[in-house]
Formats: sequence, C-alpha cells, structure tokens
Amino acid sequence: MTITALTGTGQQTQTIKRPHPLARVIAWELRRFRASRLFWFQALGLFGFLLLMTWALHAPDQIGAGVRVGGGGVSLNGFVAGTSAGGLLRTLPTVLVVLALLLPFVTADGVTRDLNRRTHELLMTTALPSWAYVWGRYLAGLVMSLGLALLLLASILGMGWLLHLTITDYPAPEIGTVLLLWVGMVVSATILVSSFGFALSTLLPRLSTLVKVVIMVAWIVGALVIPLGLGGNTTPPPSWYVNWDPTSGITALGLLPSYSINPGPSITSEAQFQQFILTVENKMPDLAGWFAPHLLLAGASLVLVLVVTFAFKRSRDVLN
Amino acid sequence: MELTIEQLSKRYGQHVALHQLSLRCEPGLLGLVGPNGAGKTSLMRMIATLLEPTEGIIRWNGQDIRTHGQALRQVLGYLPQDFGVYPEFTGRQFLHYLAAMKGLPSSLVNQRVDEVLEIVNLEQEADRKLPAYSGGMKQRIGIAQALLNDPELLIVDEPTAGLDPAERVRFRTLLSSLTRNRIIILSTHIISDVEAVANRLVILQEGRVLADTTPEALLAHTAGSVWSVTTDQTTALQLQASSQVSTMVNQMHGITLRIVSATRPHEAAVEVSPSLEEAYLLAVGRPAVRV
Repeated sequence: MTITALTGTGQQTQTIKRPHPLARVIAWELRRFRASRLFWFQALGLFGFLLLMTWALHAPDQIGAGVRVGGGGVSLNGFVAGTSAGGLLRTLPTVLVVLALLLPFVTADGVTRDLNRRTHELLMTTALPSWAYVWGRYLAGLVMSLGLALLLLASILGMGWLLHLTITDYPAPEIGTVLLLWVGMVVSATILVSSFGFALSTLLPRLSTLVKVVIMVAWIVGALVIPLGLGGNTTPPPSWYVNWDPTSGITALGLLPSYSINPGPSITSEAQFQQFILTVENKMPDLAGWFAPHLLLAGASLVLVLVVTFAFKRSRDVLN
Repeated sequence: MELTIEQLSKRYGQHVALHQLSLRCEPGLLGLVGPNGAGKTSLMRMIATLLEPTEGIIRWNGQDIRTHGQALRQVLGYLPQDFGVYPEFTGRQFLHYLAAMKGLPSSLVNQRVDEVLEIVNLEQEADRKLPAYSGGMKQRIGIAQALLNDPELLIVDEPTAGLDPAERVRFRTLLSSLTRNRIIILSTHIISDVEAVANRLVILQEGRVLADTTPEALLAHTAGSVWSVTTDQTTALQLQASSQVSTMVNQMHGITLRIVSATRPHEAAVEVSPSLEEAYLLAVGRPAVRV
C-alpha cells in the first residue's frame, strides 16, 4: 500500500449529475451476467436443446384417414407441422417446461445471491436506495429471462424455416400466429415464473432452494401431469382453468378441439389431405378467453415484486 | 461532523450483545478493542445501518440514522470483517461496480478507482479476476472499496487480518493519514494496530464500555504493573500458573517472562515499561501468553 492523499469527492460532486440508481443496478447486473461464462454456456445449451426439441417435435401428430375413391377405400396419411398454430398448441406447453425449469435459476437469486456470497453488507452500506436495488436486480433478471424466451421464439422460427426448406409439404411458420402464442404463453409464463421466484426467494432467502424446487415441481405438475390426466377425458376441462392456467398445458388442451382434423368427402388424394390439414393447423387460435388472463397473471406477479420491494429490509437482525 | 451513540443496546433473543452503550465521536481514529463476543461487530454493524438497535439511538450530525440512514450511507465507508466478491469480475471491475452503487459520478469513477488501487498497491493486479486473489489481496480490495467515496465516516472491522506485516504497517500509516476531517472506527484484535494510530481507545467487554481512554493514558495507568524475570523452567511454569504472563521467551540462559501484576511477582522480577497489549490485558483481566 502506498500512501496517497484521497481526492475529495464529497462536496465537489454534489452538483455533478449522477446516473439514475435503477439504471446503475440494471446495467451492472447485466454486465455481471455478460461476464459470466456459465450463463453463456447455459444460454447456448438451452438454444441447442430447444432447436433439437423443435426438430424432434416437428410432426407431433401423424394423421391417417380412410376415404372412398370410386368404388374402393384409400388410406391417406398426413401430419400436423410442429411449428404451425395447431402444432404449437400440441408442443409449446412441453417446450415451455424446459424454459420454466431454467428460469428460477436466472432470477430467483437476484437478491439472495448477495447474502450467499457475503456481498450484501458491502452493498447495503452504500447510498443505493433499497427500491432501486430490488427492482434493478429483478429487472435485470427479467431481461435475461426474456432473452431466453426469445431464444425459444428463435428456435421455433429458425427450425420451422429449416424444416420448411428441407421437408416436402412442411409449411413455413406463420410469424404472426407464432408471435401471438409466444406472447400469450411464453412471455406471460416467463414474467410469472421470474417474478414469483424472485419475490419468494427475496422474502425467504434461507428457503431459496426450496422456492426453486416448488416452482419447478408445480410447473411440471401443471404443464405435464394434469394435462396428461385430463387428456383422455371426454369432458373438456373447465373453461376457467383453460383461461387461467399459467402453464398453458390445459389452455392448449382446451383450444385443441378446434384443430381436430375431419376430412370431408371431397378429399381424395394425399396432397389434398395435407392441404386440408394445413388450413386447419394454421388457423389463428381463439384468443378471446385465455390471452388476457395470461397477461393479467403476469401483471399480478409484478405486483408481488412491488410488495417485496416494500417488505425488503436492508438490516438483517442476525448474530454474525 | 459528529457521531453520537446514546444508551445503545442490542439483544439477540436472550443474549445481550450490547448494554446501554454511549459514545460520542469526533474526527480522529477510535480504536475499538475487546475480547471475542464483546459486541464490537454488533456495534459497528448498527452504526453502518446493517443492524437495528434493540434500544437507544445513533445520531449522525444530530440526525437519528434510523430515519436518516441515507444521509449517513452517503458518507460511509465500511469494511466488514468477512465479505465476499463477485467471481465474474476483476478487481478493477469490482471497484467500478461499487463506485456505481455508491453513486459516484461516472466522470470521477475512473480517477477514484485508480487512486484507491494505488493506495492499496493493487494496480498491477487490478485486471485479474477476483477468485485469483490471495486473502491479503482480497482484503486490500475491501479496503479500497471502503475508500471509494472519500468517506467522512470510515468503519473498518479487522482490516489487517490476512495482510502481511509490511502491508499492515502501510495500512496503519494510511489510516493515520486519513484521520484529519473524518471519523475512523477501527476494530481489531491486534493491539499494535491501535497503538500505532488511534488517538482514542475504547475497550468493550460483555457489551459494555470497560474503558474509554487514550493509548497514552492506558499505558500510564498500567505503569508499575509489568515485570520481567528470567528464570528456570520450573519457576517459569509456576509463575505462569499463578500470574498473568504476557510473553514467555526461551533463551540460552533460561526463560524470560513478562508478567502483568500489580505487585512484584518474583523477587528477581524487575519493573519494565508496559506495552499497550499488556495494558489491555490488565484492563480486561484475561491472561494471554506469547511464547
């Protein structure tokens, strides 16, 4: 250590404009994410896995139909494209599970990480306002989460176009339809999971691992287990559940009947059959019931983060 | 600037960490010493607004910090006893990060970071990732971050832990150079750190102020209570059992002991000048032996 007189900053900087505290926290948290190799490996791995899933689920429903041509019967075969509206309703809730399992690890520890790393005291003794700290950490995590959600969108569109170019009769993805489903199902779920994970983990820092586990298990049950149980039922799921299901598993189940393939007598060839499937599978999904509730759920989760901001205490009454 | 602590108490369940403690601090360096569990860290964490008092008030320039904590944090530099770092960052990035969190204007950040890096002698290592830092280097980064905002109130908890002797001396000199126009509260187990720089010494024991004095006054108070004697091993062991021995050195012609005692502990014992550590031992009444 060399002895150097400190240049005073106290008085002379009172009039100098300082960056907004929220912007400071977000910018530095994003820089920290950027500097983390692990994060980039995770993002790259997720993108690769999502591409693989989109490819593996490119024909989630193989359809066979028997039609009468002349005096005899002919068997026609077709498929529902995984990146069409009908196909996405079949696959998106499953793909969304992968994202939902990763999101708590991106956002839940936004504040708790400082406690675990023992950087909490360094930050809490700065003049940074508590609200800026909490919201900055949350918003930075949300930006990263939405970035991962964008990777999901890119994987659907990218692989959809690749399949369109390489597989006969595979339709190009309808960008508008894909975007609507992405916003209604993926973006809303991303905000919901990120907010819930962050809020609960910040309120209960000692239970942050449990919070992640509960969110992951709840999502798997909601998106996979319950739809699997209800899938075989002849009675449709209740409309409130279809509309308000945050995992979109039951939402998709409720919307799928309008995508059922019932070829009429005019269809006599496989090409006509595939064309018929195309018109059905690319129908714009009915947004009336579920779209707004999904966004409302996401909005409500932001209120939870707001509550956490007020409940957050800089001082921690613990014996060190 | 003035820091006033009035009737401050802190309880953790049934355990009383601080009891009705009152202090008034003005610019200068206050050395806070005391045995483990005396309440030093609790006191400093309460001043740093990291812990809420059970009773009592802490005022910064007359304002209660419970309601005006932001005003205190604006001028606070704090080095905790144990702190972590962000492994993704280099030393320089870490300081830039904390400078931003402290609200330093962007135009000043580069200059300030370079300045504090120079102060803690880490310019050469500033661009290495923090996990590659040794314990001493990490401690120096901690000291650097505490100085970033040119604090009026600097609280350092065991700052020299992990520093090599040369760095310790340099840090003490640095603290001395900073004492003008700021209040520095230095908590340490290493009495020589306080001896070298503190103009005021507060000894805490079991959550109470045992002594609020100066190093000189404490030494003067101890005069005539420290003895030196060179003897054989058997007598040395007997003296160790019956008296408060501060040092015990094996030599060619016997064992030399320094004993803290109000009366002559042995007929061959000669009175010697006390060290601050011996004065501290006499004050807290706890034996400690350095062999």
